[in-house]
Parts: sequence; structure tokens; C-alpha cells
Amino acid sequence: MTALAKLWERICRGLEIFTIALFAALVLDVLWGVTSRYVPGIRPSDWTEELAVYLLVWISLYGAALTYRGYGHLGVDYFVAKLDPSAQRLVAVVVEIAVLIFAGFALVYGGSRLVFETLASNQLTPVLQWKIGYLYSTVPLSGLFICAFCIEHLIKLQPAGSHATPTDI
Amino acid sequence: MSAEVLILLVVFLGLLLLNVPIAICIGLATVATIATLGDVPTGYVVAQRLATGIASFPLLAIPFFVLSGVLMGDGGMARRLMDFASSLVGRFPGGLAYVNTVTCMLFGAVSGSAAAAVSSIGGFMIPQMEAKGYKREFAVALTATSATTGLLIPPSNIMIVFAVVSGNVSVAALFLAGVLPGILVGLSIMAASFVTLRFLRPAHTAGKAAAASITEMVTMPVGRAFLGALPSLLLVVIVLGGILGGLFSATEASAIAVAYCLILAMFVYREVKLTALPPILLKAALTTSVVMLLVGASQAMSWVLAYERVPQMVSAALIALSDNPIIILLLINVLLLVVGTFMDMTPAVLIFTPIFLPVVTGLGMDPVHFGILMIANLCIGLCTPPVGTCLFVGCSVGKTSIARVVPSAIPFFIAMMIALMAITYLPWLSLALPRLFKLL
Repeated sequence: MTALAKLWERICRGLEIFTIALFAALVLDVLWGVTSRYVPGIRPSDWTEELAVYLLVWISLYGAALTYRGYGHLGVDYFVAKLDPSAQRLVAVVVEIAVLIFAGFALVYGGSRLVFETLASNQLTPVLQWKIGYLYSTVPLSGLFICAFCIEHLIKLQPAGSHATPTDI
Repeated sequence: MSAEVLILLVVFLGLLLLNVPIAICIGLATVATIATLGDVPTGYVVAQRLATGIASFPLLAIPFFVLSGVLMGDGGMARRLMDFASSLVGRFPGGLAYVNTVTCMLFGAVSGSAAAAVSSIGGFMIPQMEAKGYKREFAVALTATSATTGLLIPPSNIMIVFAVVSGNVSVAALFLAGVLPGILVGLSIMAASFVTLRFLRPAHTAGKAAAASITEMVTMPVGRAFLGALPSLLLVVIVLGGILGGLFSATEASAIAVAYCLILAMFVYREVKLTALPPILLKAALTTSVVMLLVGASQAMSWVLAYERVPQMVSAALIALSDNPIIILLLINVLLLVVGTFMDMTPAVLIFTPIFLPVVTGLGMDPVHFGILMIANLCIGLCTPPVGTCLFVGCSVGKTSIARVVPSAIPFFIAMMIALMAITYLPWLSLALPRLFKLL
């Protein structure tokens, strides 16, 4: 099982590195857009804005998945904090199931339909002429990661009386 | 109220109480509501609204301002800004309190986040104030409330969120509109410090020095302190000057801010090494993603709200209570204050802008003015329990408890409330500067 856990850590680290690379590309892309417009002798680039907004979608959704793994999204924990520990554990399971339903239905299922219908209608970005359907693939993919993180959270959630270590998956 | 709206409310509130991430609460409530409409492909619509809601050029300014904030935040910028602030106001009795507020305002002019200001400025101001005899709780309350001025003083990420969610409000106009209200809130907090230190409980709250009107600190000459802070302050000039001069958009200005901060942090101050960049990028990406998921989910929900004509419903209900614009604005303010105590600022702006904006524009209010009102209002909620990011960060930096800080914060809450009333009922405070620069 630890080999699987190790592989999973590698995949997550890979996703982090991918997100970092996307962000670095985003910075360079927008800076190039400004530079090409103001430095004489360079032909102004018209594709940078187009690329930038899709990079933003990618960074946001993969980042949102990674943030979910680290329990980093904003919530209202005021009421749950007043419950006793066993009730809190129950609520934590409900939270994971809620996120699982949203990520599974809206992001994975809805996102896949979005990808296929956009591909079917052959929509292209105006300047780069890229297929928008492929650019939307990040919606179902990030949804899959969020589902996986939900399951990871559920496994790490120790049932009462169990002595399993949190990393023992 | 229609059955669909009831479903939206029940699902949203139910999940919210269970501490489900707010973005997911919004998303699932939207899914449930669209599903009951019947003839709409629910998953497809939500996924599409979410993706296209994020794919917006103005929103790109957020990751860039977050990144420049992270680049500058860990470095010595806050300290240099403090030296400059103390050269301006440090020589007065109770000077440290004023220095704290002015440093927060200057920091706000460089970064777009209030929580970052509390941790960077509180980190060294709170111990310093305590060493001079101020009560620690007073120092924490002061830092937490002062830091919120940074959300009104441009650049400000929350203004970009408001601009995007409200449709077609100009980010540049909002940035300029925030300047005077931000300064007003800062001055109000300084006035509250003055009254507390001088009249309410001088010896108890403040140091002996403040009570006895002795200068608390050796200050640098203004010129030298200004030179030290100049590279940081120049960032404001580049960002605002570039936007106002029509040289570049807010998004491009934010990217230039990143390049500037990178050069400053790596080659001038030499506080950030090349190997430190990937973790910095990741941190900024994750911070951004929290805001973006909320924006995307809210864009899906605002489709439902518009479809169900919720703004018209709220508008009718408010007008049934009173047809006096002064009373309606008061009601909206009270409601937002209550929301702000429980909810963070970004989700509150995303959820309530589509509902209230049509109401107030119907009364003849400028959307820019309403944006400033909303942000100034929700700033108070950032410092109040049960949920207040600035208060939480302040308490953890100052190693004290919320229950101990809140009594010390009351004079500052009153000051912010008075400033909020002025911002609400004096439109020119927000609109004079954007009009001067022909942005409205």
C-alpha cells in the first residue's frame, strides 16, 4: 500500500509543478503582450490575451484542486466548531460527500459534456485558432482530482477507536 | 417566493452551516436549482458558466497582484514603509499608534490584501507597541482594523472581483474611487486612537509615554525615510500612473508590478533567491484559486438569480419597507454588516452584488459608489467575530485571544461605522476622483 501512497504523492507533486509552470507561463505571456505593444520594432502580439485567460482557467481549477487537498477553501466553521468531536467527524464525512457530488456531477460529468459539445461545434479561439473544447478539458480533469482528494480525505479520516495512521492508505 | 428560490436558499444555507467550502455551497445550490427547472442540461450549464466565468481578462490582475504581494510581503518592504510613516507621524504623543495606521495605509497602496498587511505589519509593530507600554490587545485591534484600509486604497483585489461580477464597471474607476474613502477610514481610525489614548483610558491602554505626551520613538529625517521607501512607493506610481495615463490596462499594470517586484526582491533588496521562486508561485496560485473557484461558482449562481428574477424580488421587498433611498441604503448596510460578521469578503461581494446592485442603480446610485460602500462595509466584518480574517490573523500574530481583543476594538468599530455612513451618504467622496480623471 505504501507504494501506492508514494505514487500518489508523486502525482500530486507533478500537479503542483504543472501549476507552477502554468503560472510562470502566464506571467511571461502577459509581459510579452505589453512589451510587444510598446517596444518599437516588435510586432504587437494579439494572441497573448487569448492564451492568458485560458491559462488562468487552468491555474485556477488545478490550484483549486490542490487547495482542496490542503483544506484551504473558505468555509464557515463557526457552527461546526461548537459540536462534539464525534458529531464533527460525521459532519466532515457529509462535507466530503457534498464536494464529491459537486465535483463528480458538475465538473467531471458536466465538464465532459462541455468538452464534447464544444468540440462537436468546432469552436475555435479567434486568433490562435485552437479548439476551445480541448482548452476546457481542464474542467473534468480538475474535477477528477477533486474527487480523488475527497476520497483521500475520507480514508485519512480516522473512525472512532481505529489506530490507523493518517498516511496509511 | 418561488419553489426554486427556496431550494437555492435551503441548500446553500444548509451546506454553509456544515462548513462545506462556500464555493461548493454556491455550486451545489445552483445545481439543485437548475435541476428543478427541468428543461436545462444542468451539469453542462454549471460547468460552462464556471469556466467562462473565470476566463476573463480583468480577473487576471488578481493572480498578479497576489504574486507581487507575496514577493514583497516577506521582504523588508513593510519595515521601510514603517520608517517612512514614523518620519511623518511618529513624533506626536501616541505616535506609534498613528505610525501603525499610516504604515497599513501605505502597505495597502502596494498590496491588495488586508490579511497580509496584518501579518507583515503586526509582526513587528505589535511587539514594539507592547514594549512601549501599550496594551497588547489595543495594538492587535488597531493593526487589524487599520489593515482593512488597504482594501479601499488601490490596488485592491476585491475591487477587481466587484468589477467583474457587476458586469461592466471599470477597474480603473473603482481604484480611483477607493482613494478618498480609504484615507477617510484611516483618519477615522487615527482619530479613534487619539480619543482612546487621550480621554478614554490613557494610562491603561497606552504606554506611559503616550499618556505623558512624550515622543516614543527616534524618527529618521523625512527625506531619508522617503528614499528608503521610494522603491516600494514607486510601484503605486507605475500601477496607477500607467492605468490612468491610458498606457496599459489594470491587468497589464499588475503584470508589470510582478516584473518590478521580482527585480526589486531578487536584485535590489536581494531578499528572494531564484530557488525560492517555485514555492512563491505555488503559494500565489493556490491563493488565487480560492478566489477564482468562488468567482466561477458565483457566475453560475448569478445566472440562476437573474433567471428567477431574484434582484427584482429583493428590490420589491425593500421598496415595500420604505421608498426612501436613505432608509434602503441603511437597510442594505445593516444586512451587509450582519453578513460580514459570518462570511469572508470575497464570497459576500460575489453573492450580494448581483442581488443589491440592480436595486441601488434603480435608485440612481452609481455602481462605482456602491462597490466602495460594499467594500467599506465588509471591511468591518473582517475585524469582528465570529468570522473575521483580519482579527484571526491579528490574534495569532499578537498571541492573544479574540475575546480579549474585541473590547479594545470597539472604538475602532465606531470610527469605521462613522466613516461608512459618510461613504454611503456622500457620493462625491467616491466619485470625485474618477470624475476628475474622466473615468465616469
